[in-house]
Amino acid sequence: MIKTDVIIIGGGATGCGIARDLALRGIPHCLIEKGDFAAGATGACHGLLHSGGRYAVTDPVAARECYEENLILRSIGEKCVEQTGGLFVRLPGDSKRFREIFLRGCESVGIPAEAISSTKAIDLVPNLNPEIEEAIKVPDCSIDPFRLCMLNIRTSELKGGIIYTRHKVTAIIQSHGRCVGVRATDQSTGEIREIHGNIIVNATGAWAHMIASLAGCEVPMSLVKGALVITNHRLTNMVINRLRHPSDGDIIVPNEAVCLAGTTALAIDDPDNLLTESSEVDTIIGEAGKMIPHFNNTRIIRAFSGVRPLLKSKKADSHEMSRGFQIIDHQNGMYSIAGGKLTTFRLMAEKMVDTIMASFNLKKPCETAQIPLDGQEELSGYPLAKRLTDMKNIVCECELVTRQDVERITRQTGTRKVGDIQHRTRLGMGPCQGGFCTFRALGIMNDMSVISPEQSMEMLRGFLQRRFKGIKPALWGDQLREEQLVEYIYLGILGMEKSP
Amino acid sequence: MSVIEYDVVIIGAGVAGLTAGTILAERGLKIALVTTGEPTACLSTGGIDVCSGRDNPLSAIRELPAQHPYHLVSDPIIKDSLENFLKVMTEMNLPYTGTIEKNRNILSSLGTYKTSCLVPLTMEATPQGTDESIHIITFKGLKDFYPGYIISRRKNTRFSEYDAGVSSTMSIASRFEEKAFFEKFLLWLEKLKFQKDKIAFPAVLGLESATEIVHTVSTLTGKPVFEIPTIPPSMPGRRLFNALKKYFRKKGGEIYWSWPVTGIEKSGRLIEAVATSSLGRPNSINARAFILATGSFVGGGLTATREAVIENIFHLPVHVPGPRETWFDNDYFSLNHGIGKAGIIVDASLRPADSPWKNIFVCGAILANTEILKNGCGHGLALATAHQAAQSCVEYLSHEL
Repeated sequence: MIKTDVIIIGGGATGCGIARDLALRGIPHCLIEKGDFAAGATGACHGLLHSGGRYAVTDPVAARECYEENLILRSIGEKCVEQTGGLFVRLPGDSKRFREIFLRGCESVGIPAEAISSTKAIDLVPNLNPEIEEAIKVPDCSIDPFRLCMLNIRTSELKGGIIYTRHKVTAIIQSHGRCVGVRATDQSTGEIREIHGNIIVNATGAWAHMIASLAGCEVPMSLVKGALVITNHRLTNMVINRLRHPSDGDIIVPNEAVCLAGTTALAIDDPDNLLTESSEVDTIIGEAGKMIPHFNNTRIIRAFSGVRPLLKSKKADSHEMSRGFQIIDHQNGMYSIAGGKLTTFRLMAEKMVDTIMASFNLKKPCETAQIPLDGQEELSGYPLAKRLTDMKNIVCECELVTRQDVERITRQTGTRKVGDIQHRTRLGMGPCQGGFCTFRALGIMNDMSVISPEQSMEMLRGFLQRRFKGIKPALWGDQLREEQLVEYIYLGILGMEKSP
Repeated sequence: MSVIEYDVVIIGAGVAGLTAGTILAERGLKIALVTTGEPTACLSTGGIDVCSGRDNPLSAIRELPAQHPYHLVSDPIIKDSLENFLKVMTEMNLPYTGTIEKNRNILSSLGTYKTSCLVPLTMEATPQGTDESIHIITFKGLKDFYPGYIISRRKNTRFSEYDAGVSSTMSIASRFEEKAFFEKFLLWLEKLKFQKDKIAFPAVLGLESATEIVHTVSTLTGKPVFEIPTIPPSMPGRRLFNALKKYFRKKGGEIYWSWPVTGIEKSGRLIEAVATSSLGRPNSINARAFILATGSFVGGGLTATREAVIENIFHLPVHVPGPRETWFDNDYFSLNHGIGKAGIIVDASLRPADSPWKNIFVCGAILANTEILKNGCGHGLALATAHQAAQSCVEYLSHEL
């Protein structure tokens, strides 16, 4: 049995942010995550560090929080934020009145917003639709959510925080009406751990209600699915938003070598069972294509969905629901923190830890806004350039990952999951979506005796099935061609069947 | 613009295109083959898969659904096409083994058995069951072959690793063509203990001399030796392509390499020429008849858009099983993806159905309703339909006014 002060359930941006904040304030803690970091909404979003512009009209409180956090993250996390800047573009037919409200909204919140001519906008982003009327420039940025989680966790690790990924919480232990610990199952070995703490923080996003209900509590939430597509190259170097009331498919974000576009909004019940429909993909491409016409004939390498963990509200249109967050004190030693957005994760963590400090009667103030994220010195500014320096033994040709990278991550993390290597190296993130390199990575892990031959086979099978789920909604053109090749290799040349 | 005259122009340099071209060239016709580049045959195992459903591939073909293009080719032509292939490969010093009456297994890099019919001699010694013990020789750092996968499925399997100094299939294969490298390798191999094992190699034993290399290793060790095909680039697939290409040229066929077709010239119900671009200038290649053997999606014969599937050269009508949502099953491994049926529907003479053209003949993977993966019928179908298309083409030319 492990004893600590604070147990954090959930390894998304919020959970990782809380771990960092606790570490900086010297509070012992343990974070438990059922998959890998950023596995929920954190990893399944645009990767947009909002300027706040998007909410300036509909939700001024969220807009102000976004802008303040945008400034903070740019200063503390320069290696996981790319300062792209963003444009809100007005297309023919889009309301001029909205433009006025938008500019006034930005001004009252304090977001720097500059109206520029269509010529100037096309000068900045040559792929823009030449018919745009005008654009408004805002300080949007792109952010790597996975790296963000890793860097937050680094501080926790340095200060002695205990981290369990791939551990699923199956029970909340209660004593005299108070939550005093959790039981978690190691997803790889089946081993059960018991961890005791004074306070439990439920930071599980879309799963918050499920975890709360283990202790007989409720978190009223609306689960809203949003679909996104990824292109095989970078069509814009700035974030592009549509200047209108938030709606489907109106944001395009450049990230490393690709672009993400989305989203849609559909209410769902089960966050573990997300399917992306062809119609959602068509909607996103259609809308993104109005802002950047090349979108219509660019290769889409994958489509996926995330779940926005929105707090329940009476507003019918989820685009209008509050992006604000809330801390729920269940009055039994457990807190749930829900709502919010990636951009404001640090603020959410600060408020959560303030509450915990108050309950411990401790006074140390939050420092997460001032101290740069740990571990950034290991990251180059633009990772591709770094990867290009070592061209030997490349196992992932799309993203230039070497055999040595795979071996190093495997040793460092002790992982037995190929997904962990993919998150940390970008292996399999390119056009073939792991079609070639996963076979190799699992073969290397077997060579290293980290996994057995039987496991490598079983994991390859599982990987192909999961991979297909992400690719299926985007199969036409070159991506269909690539998929047919990969299918021909595994099911034809390698004679792979469903199960032995 | 330059204008070049031929009897027949073949589009596509895969097994189907090269075979049809060779048959026509053997009849004394002037043949050109136009291609954008290497065919998917280079990605294949090199084996001729005829039809996998039954022990006897011919019985398996009879059980295929009525609309399968195999049913447009008679049994004697199917048999002839395979026997002729065996003859050609022997002549080209890449002998194959097998018979049309019986399917056989080749071992895959994952340790599964894959059904094929005619296989390169370098795979002849492949164990047909799981009892025999095998000793795999692999190469240090080889990135496309991991014996662990085979061991996961197969008892009695061991492996040893040789450092070839290079780590890709292609570069190891080219080292095996160097005498000094091969001799040094044999000295290392001699020291290993093999007991009752068969010796297995990933298919990297040379680019052109694989048959002799396998023979030498087998003689030296006194053990049966066989190759295991790898994921692309596949050496056995490349050897197959090279042999067919050389044979086609030997029969007088001409290949326009890297000449993508950019347009067609037509008159009435006839195609008169294909326009291609190369060396910075357009060329018009005229012919009396055309054979379309451009393959399916991977080969580049078909392109899917979000709404439809397009045939890239003549814009022939393409049979598509349904709207985009129906193209793929949710289960990746089902072998039942609707898109496997996409392709060109043809009449008994392999002319495209519902199209005006009298002088186009279609063969190979671009045909509709092949479901090649499900039926295990890739190169076998290519050979059979190539023979049929060539025959229809000859008949057409002999009656041509």
